[in-house]
Amino acid sequence: MILDSKHINSAFDEDLDRLLTQLMTMGGLVENAIRESSRALINLDTELAESVIKDDHRIDLIQEDIDMAAVNCIALRQPQARDLRMIIAVMRISNALERCADHAKNTAKRTSAIVEAPPLTETIASLGRFSKLVQALIKDSLDCFIQADESKARDVIARDHEIDQIHSGLFREYLTYMLEKPSIITSTMHLMFIAKNIERISDHATAIAEQAVYMMTGQLPEDERPKNDDAAYVASADQD
Amino acid sequence: MEISRISQADVQNGAIKIAARDVCVYYAEEQALYNVSLDIQDTMVTALIGPSGCGKSTFIRCLNRMNDTIETCRVEGTIELDGVDIHGRNIDPVQLRARVGMVFQKPNPFPKSIYDNVAYGPRIHGLADTREELDGIVQLSLEKAALWEEVKDRLHAPGTGLSGGQQQRLCIARAISTRPELLLMDEPCSALDPIATSQIEELIGQLRESFSVVIVTHSMQQAARVSQKTAFFHLGSLVEVNETEAIFTNPQDERTESYITGRIG
Repeated sequence: MILDSKHINSAFDEDLDRLLTQLMTMGGLVENAIRESSRALINLDTELAESVIKDDHRIDLIQEDIDMAAVNCIALRQPQARDLRMIIAVMRISNALERCADHAKNTAKRTSAIVEAPPLTETIASLGRFSKLVQALIKDSLDCFIQADESKARDVIARDHEIDQIHSGLFREYLTYMLEKPSIITSTMHLMFIAKNIERISDHATAIAEQAVYMMTGQLPEDERPKNDDAAYVASADQD
Repeated sequence: MEISRISQADVQNGAIKIAARDVCVYYAEEQALYNVSLDIQDTMVTALIGPSGCGKSTFIRCLNRMNDTIETCRVEGTIELDGVDIHGRNIDPVQLRARVGMVFQKPNPFPKSIYDNVAYGPRIHGLADTREELDGIVQLSLEKAALWEEVKDRLHAPGTGLSGGQQQRLCIARAISTRPELLLMDEPCSALDPIATSQIEELIGQLRESFSVVIVTHSMQQAARVSQKTAFFHLGSLVEVNETEAIFTNPQDERTESYITGRIG
């Protein structure tokens, strides 16, 4: 586990314990926001979407608390080595989580717009499956940090590859739908942005797993991931 | 930890000031240091850290043969200063201590005037031929120790009348008055307030430009602030030595990690 041995000064352990508890609370809220934003989209449930938007504020507040607690810990305890790396990692992870929550909030906002002009149901269903994969990735990234499990962290980093491929596939799929049926262009454009939101969450999961590796080894993993998200090049390739 | 034998090229380049190899120290039957091999690099501050009784002070006292004064103490292994064995037949310990100065935990000025405290070393080593030369050495040493401005109007007042921080800087001035090549500091700030501590630390940074400094400290933050290299001692052995940044952010040995994060005392 992350806190494997005790300090002579037990108050320091309590500080670190509290910091990790706050981070895990934040993680839980963010996982929930991602799940609920996806559920609101699939069910075209504006009420649920609104609650995701409203709850984002709470996540922002928790992030501020974590930042403050981490700064206090550095100032008062002068952490070294692994303790220092852990606190730095917590700050970076809470930042990544806050961005994930923003992506969930953006998805919820677009859901309210989509309800006005619903797109094809099958296009939404594939997004739901995509979101589930990314939810699992965020959960695993937080688990690998709290369990100090390096192999799990490296597995999370490797899985981002698959997410990028799916995102590119969705991009092409949506282009086809829009070409076939111009009347759904507006709503499908929203779906494309939602897909991008979800893909970005996966990038943050990778960043969290990288911080877990940093915390354990003192070094960030080398970037060995092939870049597979070629959505940006689809249009130009098609024109050639 | 493998440290290769010191090469003549390194000595000539001035890269390594002191090379200690397999140093073992015994007090009567009790062994205090176990096969310590450590290079002290020139114009660099090396911090020795470790819990009480780990051997860091014993080690530092070997570097200018201060342990010779303890009857039951026996030192084995080799310690070379600029490639010359300090235990060699031709080495005079008094001359050695002029080259390798020492500052102790508690300020210990002689019961003499400020001037005479600093002039003592240059006088006995015959470093000045005239009164003017001696005045010059005293002024330069006090300036280097960042004390000149505070005492220049009362050089003949007793050194013991200064504040604790000033006394410690006086001792540093006394230690550097013989123009040593290496300065050993055994917890030089442990009896000082934070302001005097900052002044001494600032001073260490400046002294490093002229010679190498080895500092024993119980304050991890002090080691982190003033040194470029840090060596961790535990139970009489040298556990790990590395760049200070590496020791404090990513130590390689679990014992170092436990010590600097406050898990063993």
